[in-house]
Amino acid sequence: MTVADLSLVVRRRIKASPSRVFAAWTSPEALKVWWGPQGVRCPDAHVDLTVGGQYRIANELPDGRLLWIEGIFEEIVPDEKLVYSWVSSDQQPAPERVIVHFKPVSEGTEVIVVHERIGSEAAVEDHTAGWEGCLDGLEQLGLIGHA
Amino acid sequence: MMTDQIAPSQTLNDDQLDLVFKALSDRTRRKLLAELAQGDASVSELAAPLHMSLPAASKHIRVLENASLVKRTKSGRVQYCALQAEALADADAWLNHYRAYWNDQLDTLQHFLESDPS
Repeated sequence: MTVADLSLVVRRRIKASPSRVFAAWTSPEALKVWWGPQGVRCPDAHVDLTVGGQYRIANELPDGRLLWIEGIFEEIVPDEKLVYSWVSSDQQPAPERVIVHFKPVSEGTEVIVVHERIGSEAAVEDHTAGWEGCLDGLEQLGLIGHA
Repeated sequence: MMTDQIAPSQTLNDDQLDLVFKALSDRTRRKLLAELAQGDASVSELAAPLHMSLPAASKHIRVLENASLVKRTKSGRVQYCALQAEALADADAWLNHYRAYWNDQLDTLQHFLESDPS
């Protein structure tokens, strides 16, 4: 099966040290406070912060449905970098992958989230597609306008 | 904004998106699209810079055509290709669900960390 190995990058500068941001990202108590986009609550979170360890984050949707995001830590560099698989219990065909960089900058930390293998139907080992932000590239060519 | 679901889903035609993403997952086809972004071109004009045979180029173009990324028209004996950007916009909108999702997450993280600067 052909793979569309989609990825995207989101960056944010936060006025807090990399160690505080890293702690917020990996502490169940902190996750319960901040995790979730608008309207989504996080009533429960478990984090086994070891390579091969599992995390599970509960997402209570506005209609009350509970959806779990879970995965396995593939790489952990304290205060610097996390790599983990990402499976959402609602519909994904195969694990995606999230890489988070916590980069020290003058005002605090730049958080860089790379979300890979979006919508991938292929085996986890399959790296063949090499899509790598093609849409961003096409966007730069002026093909896609953003609202 | 993604407020009611975590992953993007059925708002866009999944089968159509599959075709688009599969079409885009090939380097040669991405080059063809980039070429067409500069303007319409004949199949042979597209094939030449990629050192491809016409049948090989035509095969790739057919994949792009099936995904509604390219429209082929015939003028005499020459086939011309034109980019159809709407399909790309759909794919981009789909990815934007994720962008919005992570931006929302980072909003709340930022608020959490910056409202209590301990």
